[in-house]
Amino acid sequence: MSTLPQLLEEDVQELNKALEELLTRSEATTALVTDKAGFCIVQQGDLDTFDATSLGALASNSFNANQAIAQMINEPNFNTVYQQGEKHSMLVMDVDEFTVLIIIFPAAVSVGMVKYYAAQAAQVISRQLMIAKSRSPGQGIDLAMLNMEDSSQLFKKKDL
Amino acid sequence: MALINQATKELQVKVVYYGPALCGKTTNLVKVHENVQTAQEKGKLVSLATSSDRTLFFDFLPIEAMSIKGFKTKFQLYTVPGQVIYNTTRQLVLRGVDGIVFVADSQYEKMAENVESFANLEENLKANKLNLDEIPYVLQYNKRDLPNVAPVDYMEYLLNNREVRVPAFEASAHKVEGVFETLNAITRLLLQKFINESKKPA
Repeated sequence: MSTLPQLLEEDVQELNKALEELLTRSEATTALVTDKAGFCIVQQGDLDTFDATSLGALASNSFNANQAIAQMINEPNFNTVYQQGEKHSMLVMDVDEFTVLIIIFPAAVSVGMVKYYAAQAAQVISRQLMIAKSRSPGQGIDLAMLNMEDSSQLFKKKDL
Repeated sequence: MALINQATKELQVKVVYYGPALCGKTTNLVKVHENVQTAQEKGKLVSLATSSDRTLFFDFLPIEAMSIKGFKTKFQLYTVPGQVIYNTTRQLVLRGVDGIVFVADSQYEKMAENVESFANLEENLKANKLNLDEIPYVLQYNKRDLPNVAPVDYMEYLLNNREVRVPAFEASAHKVEGVFETLNAITRLLLQKFINESKKPA
């Protein structure tokens, strides 16, 4: 199964730059790019208020659920999920086969504006991921740095 | 599939706890969350459950392995809803899975449900274009402290009779027995797979 490409420093920089621009232009609070399996790839904005890991996992799974509903009702174009709240709203947008863009913004900000800039950011993100993919297609992951010091106890139970 | 970020030296891995209804999948995650030693602030356990504590969508626990150096190794542990009617949800949670813990209920009367759930796992992996032969998994025979349990040999015969036998662990998850052994085993299998793949030429 094909999957996300390995990301190098320059990829992460480009993705972060796209998110920073999105936040500045759209007045959104927080933006994340996550893999559809729920992994958080990059994030920008207010990360003290929100737990990016859980937010990314929940939003991407919610997006997947929405896609499943789309298939059930033969709707080919459920490519965004929008939740309007009292203080904050959320927009989740499809980037490509593997990735979604999640944006949290103040409820007072127009969703139309956020959508417009999010679509632009999604294009930049998609393009950068394509570049990363073409650079190292398929396998060849370098985990030479991985050093399992004590492989018998990767997770340790607290002493009671 | 796992996310490898060379820039931030981060490896993110998804493990799904699968099994029939009420076999103890959520209990495994709750006990890991309550009892694990962590170097950093512990991730939150998110449970999307019904009012009667039955898993509706999934439970989710982000956690970082302590003793792996070089890469920040983050694990995302998920459970699926065990009830038969929630099959679409199980398929969704399996998306991008790297490793599986199949939790079986050791009580005699639950054997048919265990076998059915294991077959359902294979089907749902196929629906995600995945194959159990290529995904590291371990078995956990849970609820060993109950009086009416089937012998381990019998459970091995029912659930661990594929070409390659996988590690299996006896557990009483609510007493935290076998929980960490199971988690450490799937983690080791996964990391070994990644290391082996990284040695293959690109």
